[in-house]
Amino acid sequence: MSRLSQMLVVTRKELRDAFRDRRAIYSVLFGSLFGPILVGVMFNAIADRQREVEDITVPVVGIEHAPALVDWLRQQSGVTVVEGPADAESAVRDRTQDVVVVIPDDFAKRFRASRPVELQVVSDGSRTASRPKVQRVRALLQRYNGEVAALRLVGRGVSPAVISPLQIQDREVSSAQQRAAVILNFIPLFIVLASFTGGMQIATDSTAGERERGSLEPLLVNPAPRMVIAGGKWLAAALSATLSVAITTTLCLTLLRFIPLQDLGIRFRLGPEQVAWLLVAVLPLCLLSTAIQTYLSTFARSFKEAQSYMGYLIMVPMLPGMLSSVYPITSQPWMYPIPILGQHLLASDVLGGKSPSPIMFVLAALAALATAIVLVRLTTGLLQREKIVFGR
Amino acid sequence: MIRVEHLRKQFGPVTAVDDVSFEAPDGAVTGLLGPNGAGKTTTLRMLYALMRPDAGRILVDDVDAVADPIGAQARLGVLPDVSGLYPRLTAREHIQYFGELQGVSGATLKMRTDELLERLDMRGIADRRTAGFSHGERTKVAIARALVHDPRNILLDEPTNGLDVMSTRAVREIIRRLRAEGRAVVFSSHVMQEVSALCDRIIVIARGRIVASGTPDALREQTGHQNLEDAFVALAGLEREVVE
Repeated sequence: MSRLSQMLVVTRKELRDAFRDRRAIYSVLFGSLFGPILVGVMFNAIADRQREVEDITVPVVGIEHAPALVDWLRQQSGVTVVEGPADAESAVRDRTQDVVVVIPDDFAKRFRASRPVELQVVSDGSRTASRPKVQRVRALLQRYNGEVAALRLVGRGVSPAVISPLQIQDREVSSAQQRAAVILNFIPLFIVLASFTGGMQIATDSTAGERERGSLEPLLVNPAPRMVIAGGKWLAAALSATLSVAITTTLCLTLLRFIPLQDLGIRFRLGPEQVAWLLVAVLPLCLLSTAIQTYLSTFARSFKEAQSYMGYLIMVPMLPGMLSSVYPITSQPWMYPIPILGQHLLASDVLGGKSPSPIMFVLAALAALATAIVLVRLTTGLLQREKIVFGR
Repeated sequence: MIRVEHLRKQFGPVTAVDDVSFEAPDGAVTGLLGPNGAGKTTTLRMLYALMRPDAGRILVDDVDAVADPIGAQARLGVLPDVSGLYPRLTAREHIQYFGELQGVSGATLKMRTDELLERLDMRGIADRRTAGFSHGERTKVAIARALVHDPRNILLDEPTNGLDVMSTRAVREIIRRLRAEGRAVVFSSHVMQEVSALCDRIIVIARGRIVASGTPDALREQTGHQNLEDAFVALAGLEREVVE
């Protein structure tokens, strides 16, 4: 009997065993669904806020003092002007309004005399959520200010260009897709996390669980090399992780189709080609993540002990994400062959619309695979120790 | 047939097995008898090649178990000391899993599985998950999966430990049948009656050493005790221990 078919016997048994276990199914499902759901919720929240800014309602106190200004405001697209509350400050303070414009009584008199009029924009600077709206109102008023100033100059025979020595134009150099990647940065994180959560149950149950139940000794009495046993268990965990990654990736990308990304000013295109590259980037990680888990769990005498190791291990894939929020990582070629980090970078690149060289994909995959094989060999070594086989 | 020559195993300062030699011929039941901690389990673990002896030789049908553990394991059917089951697999799946690992497949595997389920009177529980099984049922599953590849040599570590009367009788019946089929059976026990009821040859082990061996009658003669239990106590040096 070939070693490979023996290994597949072990793999098949572990998969069958695991998928009869509700805990295993939950851990795969939870790990796979958590990310996409969070992505969906967050994007929708951001998109809603953005939409709010576009269609704004501006409460104005003293509409009757400046009918021309109010008419101008009403003509701007997406702007609705309503009568403001009597006490503007307290309305903003108790959050019934995000922003209130107060027009003073003497507006018409001063305006006619071409003297500056004091307009109040009441807002709460500590509230980040209302900031875009406040900025929009302020920008509208600035524009009105500019238009009136220009008209007055023209009326006095002066070119409006005279008072605009500088014309400031913003030019954004990052592509729209790159800006999207910054926001979409947590999708690779969730996909990488899925490769850890998806195989965890099998990795722990088939090793530490096997020791705890006392079924390891009878298993090893069969004429199969330890490498075959370790390999079969690892493969089962890796397949489960692959399933989890596939679900997460598919769901995240399906969700992105329904999220109004253009509302966020993001032009995001994700065709079948990008999906394929994304999977090519991340799937090798399933081999590594489960190899680490199988190795660590073989040390553990009980399922619970193994799970506590898994709790610490899950921090590892979060590191690249956390570090990149502190130090914005500009990806360097040497980073790609570092397992886990490499996969993270590749996934971010693909989502950001950059296409890394295929060599990077190969290097990252090979590095993950090589590390995984070393770990499976180490697991094999553990299974040869009498302390592990008999020590319970 | 199993032959053991000058087996030795050391755990730190403790010599668990010390110069143990014996032979378990085909068509006979050989009993390893000794109090708890005498070295029976350690001896058996070396026989089924999960533990490496520090010295000595083990031959299973002329295969050296130290040099070729996998070759030896293919010729052995083993019920280890600890025989955990998979609670989410059925009795039948347990037997098939071990059969496949032993290289049995297809129609042969199906036939052997059915035969074992029949022989061990397990038809009623064959397709139930083992989670709620009684101790007796669990032991039957563990024995069945150990026999699925039709091994010529059988090692059973305290097979009747903790079983009720009916299950014990069933296990004895299995052992007698295995002997009748011409297999070499080695089993360990710390219960005198167990060994005397079944064994053709008894090897008494105490503190890692063989203190006596022979047929039950020979042992009685050797010690001058008519009662085998008295003979066992005398041989294992347990009397001295109590006096000390």
